[in-house]
Order: sequence, then C-alpha cells, then structure tokens
Amino acid sequence: MTTAAYTVEELMACVVSRELRDGELGFIGLGTGGRAFVMAVGIPTVAIRLAQLRGVDFIAQYGVKLEPLIEEAPACFTDADLLDWRCRAMIPVEDALDMFRRGMMDWGFVSGAQIDPYGNLNSVCIGEQKHPKVRLVGAIAQTDHCAHARHTMIILPHDRRAFVERVDFISGLGFGDGPGYRERFQHRGGGPGKVVTTLAVLGFNEKTRRMQVESLHPGVTRGEVERNTGFALAFPDPIPTTPTPTDEEVQLIRTRIDPKGLFLQAKVR
Amino acid sequence: MTLRDAVAQIKDGDTVAVGGHTLRRHPMAIIHEIIRQGRRNLKLMGWNSGIDMDMLIGAGCVASVETSYIGISAFGLALNFRRAAEGGSLKVIEHSETTGIDMFRATAMGMSFFPTKTPLGSDLMQANEHLAEVICPFTGERYAAVKAARPDVAILHAHTADQYGNVQLDLQRWHDNSVDAILAKAARTVLVTVEQIVSDEEVLRNALLTVLPRTFVTAVIEAPYGAHPTACDHRYDYDLEEVGKYYEASKSGDAFKGYLEERVLGPADHWAYLDAIGLERLMALTRQRVVR
Repeated sequence: MTTAAYTVEELMACVVSRELRDGELGFIGLGTGGRAFVMAVGIPTVAIRLAQLRGVDFIAQYGVKLEPLIEEAPACFTDADLLDWRCRAMIPVEDALDMFRRGMMDWGFVSGAQIDPYGNLNSVCIGEQKHPKVRLVGAIAQTDHCAHARHTMIILPHDRRAFVERVDFISGLGFGDGPGYRERFQHRGGGPGKVVTTLAVLGFNEKTRRMQVESLHPGVTRGEVERNTGFALAFPDPIPTTPTPTDEEVQLIRTRIDPKGLFLQAKVR
Repeated sequence: MTLRDAVAQIKDGDTVAVGGHTLRRHPMAIIHEIIRQGRRNLKLMGWNSGIDMDMLIGAGCVASVETSYIGISAFGLALNFRRAAEGGSLKVIEHSETTGIDMFRATAMGMSFFPTKTPLGSDLMQANEHLAEVICPFTGERYAAVKAARPDVAILHAHTADQYGNVQLDLQRWHDNSVDAILAKAARTVLVTVEQIVSDEEVLRNALLTVLPRTFVTAVIEAPYGAHPTACDHRYDYDLEEVGKYYEASKSGDAFKGYLEERVLGPADHWAYLDAIGLERLMALTRQRVVR
C-alpha cells in the first residue's frame, strides 16, 4: 500500500478551483455537519481560496457574510465565533438571498441527497412527500441556488443511492425533464454547470441536457462509475483523467488554507 | 406580563411564526411554556427551523409546519420531525429559504402576495398550497406568487427591550436573524422574550438598535438565557452538550418523553429550567455579559 499524495477531497477542491474566474461571485451556505459539510462548504471554500492564491479575484459570500478571511476561519461555527470571523461585509439575510434573485451570483455551490440525469436535486424526502419513507431536512436555499445562479457547481459523494433515474422530489431544479424545460419558466440562472464527485467530473450535454462524464479521477474505472450510478451515462472516447493536484496546491491546502482540517475533514464544531 | 400569561394568549389551532434560525436564537423559553400549557394543533411557520419546531412536534403540539428546513445542524436530521412526517401525522408545507421569508415580507409590506421566480419548475409548486403561478403584466414573464402569511402569533427572542415593548438587538448580531423583525410585522400578536428589560434611558440613547418599535409588539417578557440551548449572537453560545442530550433522547418517542419530563414539564417555569441546567454551565456558555 502506498500513501496517496493527495486525498479525494483535495482533488475535488482543485477541480472546482480551476473553474473559478476573475470577478466572479459565489455563494456558500453555512450548511450542516459531517460529510454534507465537506461537500457543500469545505470543498468550495478551499477551492475559492486556492483560486484567490493563484491571483483570481473571486468573491466568496457565506450566507450573510461576504469575503471572510478564510485562513482565520474559527474552529467552531457558533454565533460568537462567526461574528468575530473578520470579513468585509455582513448584510441582512434577505438582502444576501436577493443577490441570487437579481442574477448577481455566478456560482451556487450545492449538494443534495439525490440527483437525476438532468441535474435535478432533492433534499426534501425519499418516497412520497405526503408520506415519505425518509424525511430529509427540506429545500433550504437549494431552490434559490438552482433557479438563479449563472451555474451551479454540484458536489456529491458518488453512489447509487444519490445518483438515481428520477429524484423523488425536485427541490433544486436542474434541466427538469430535458431540453427547453428551464427556458419555459424563463429562469435567469443557467442551471447545472459541473458535477464534481468522489469518482469523476461530469457535465451536461448541450443538446440532450443529460449528465455525461468529462473525466475520471486517477485510478477510477468506467465500470466503477457505472456501478455507482443509477442511470445510463455517456462517456467520452478516450476518457480523460482528472488532472491531479500539484504539489504546490497540496502544500497550500495543508499548510495555509486548511491546516486544521476544518473544511476538508469537517473538524469544525 | 409573565411568560405564563403571555403564552396563554396562544390558542389551540393557532398559526404560530417562530423566530430564530437553525440553532440560533429560537424563543425556547416560550416554546417550553407552550409545551407546559399543552397547546395542540398549532400550525407552525418559519423560514429556517430546527430544535424549536422539532421539540414542539415531539411534544404533540403541532398539526402542520411551513418552513424550508428542519434539522439539528451538525447532529443531523430532526428526529421528532422525521417520525411525525414519515408517520403521516404531520402536514409539511415546503418552502425554499426565500419563499419562507417572502410569505412574511408580503404581509409586512401590506401586500397579499410576493412575486418570485424561485420555485418555478420545482416540486415546491405542488407541495405548497400557498404558491401559485402569475404573469407579470408588464413583461409577460412567469412568476410564482407567495401568499402573504398572517400568523395569529409570532414568538421571538431578542436581546433587550424597554418597559414599553421597544425591542432591541445588540449591534453585534448574526444577520440571519434579521428575519425576526419581518415575521413579527406579519403577525397579529407578537410575544417577545428578551435577555434583559433595560431602562428608558438606554433605549433613548441607542434608538438605532431598536428593530421592533412597540407598535408591533404585544408583550415583552424578561427571560435571560431564553434561547438556551440555541445560541444568542454574541451573548452566549449554543449548548452542544444539551443539544446532544436532546438529539439522543429524540431517537425514540419514549426517550423523548423522558427528556420533556426532565427539562420542560418537570421544571415549573423558565427559572426552574435554568436551575436544572445550572449556573456553571450557563456561565461557561456566556461570551459577553452586558449591563445596560
């Protein structure tokens, strides 16, 4: 057994960071805990900081808090610590969320319990909404991210429970039932941009609007992705390998951006 | 007015808007008293909810919830909520964060609905009877109308108030709770607990801190640590030990009955609850003591 030079979370953060451009604005909810926190908060946070350290002027908005100093992130996300976390602006939450509706947000970073081939997301329930098999937390701001952000960056653990043919409830609209669906509602947001998972990077076919593989992470096979996906995926031929993090990126993450593992290991309290 | 008298204004079957969000500044002292008084069939409304709604559901006080989220933050799913929803005994009206705020915003602005594009094309349109599609008369664009909410009662916890009911929040506050003032402006009766009733002089000197002028407020009641075990901005942290105990108990209906007996039904009032938690723990959670 050899020691991996990077973790899959570090790889995912590097992938996300390469999509971020100068002058863009991205919204991160302060989310929940554990694995969901790593996906929805940790990976985007490290990605944004990596991009900034490369000289990309990307503005991060954490709910009501704009441009907090990421290296000063508190080890505990209680009110007092979050209030003390230095940042450039704190605005009322309704104003923060209106920035979505005005179409100002370039990237919404989202996750969910289920996703379908058209990038529709579910965080409401498994089974029928009126009598669910599993009741989940609810739509939260996922609906807003998915309706209004110029693109959404969907970050998920890759398994068959999450990647399903049809989500049980659309709480975050992707491309609906396919071409033309979003357009009928005249949404300002463009819908799903990328899906970055623990196995692969995926995008969406411009004509069919279906999810398709763009690259597999190093060491991951096509069969492994197929076994962990509950719907048919198109693969490019040949299949590219996701670029690995550079030594410099790994160093920056471990020594400067996330030395305590708050973000990529969810060590935040 | 005592907490008991204030909560007596809430009737069985009322729609009740609950302030605070996630694990932050929920009006827990009021919620405990609602449970002690055995209210039934409440229709709860909020925009981002947690232990507040979950506790009322677990105590059998609730017929329906209307919000965008009920969870116990880092602990995971809200288990009383989960059991009631999965058992089919609880009606859940689904919102996004923004439509959950919009329903109160509309009323606060004197309108019968609030237009938004957010839920269009999602299943929220089917799972929320208070959303309907409309067309903009100027652009022809499709919108969802969020029906204005007019809760019978709003319950909130804030930092301070004067004897007249002018409610203030410290400058150091987490801005997610700005919605508290909006949902208060939407409700018929507004009950507010505060950490401290302060002098007239204090309010006169810091009028900018008044978020709810008394004209919007029915009653203020002094209830220090009235948000415990949720956090209260810069004043005290959430009590993770207590929330953990709650979460463990909420794993089964019987264990949860025991929790309610120990923490809510057993203690006669909020002061007895604070005694049960203990001064040492409360002081350990305290970040800032403010004397005004």
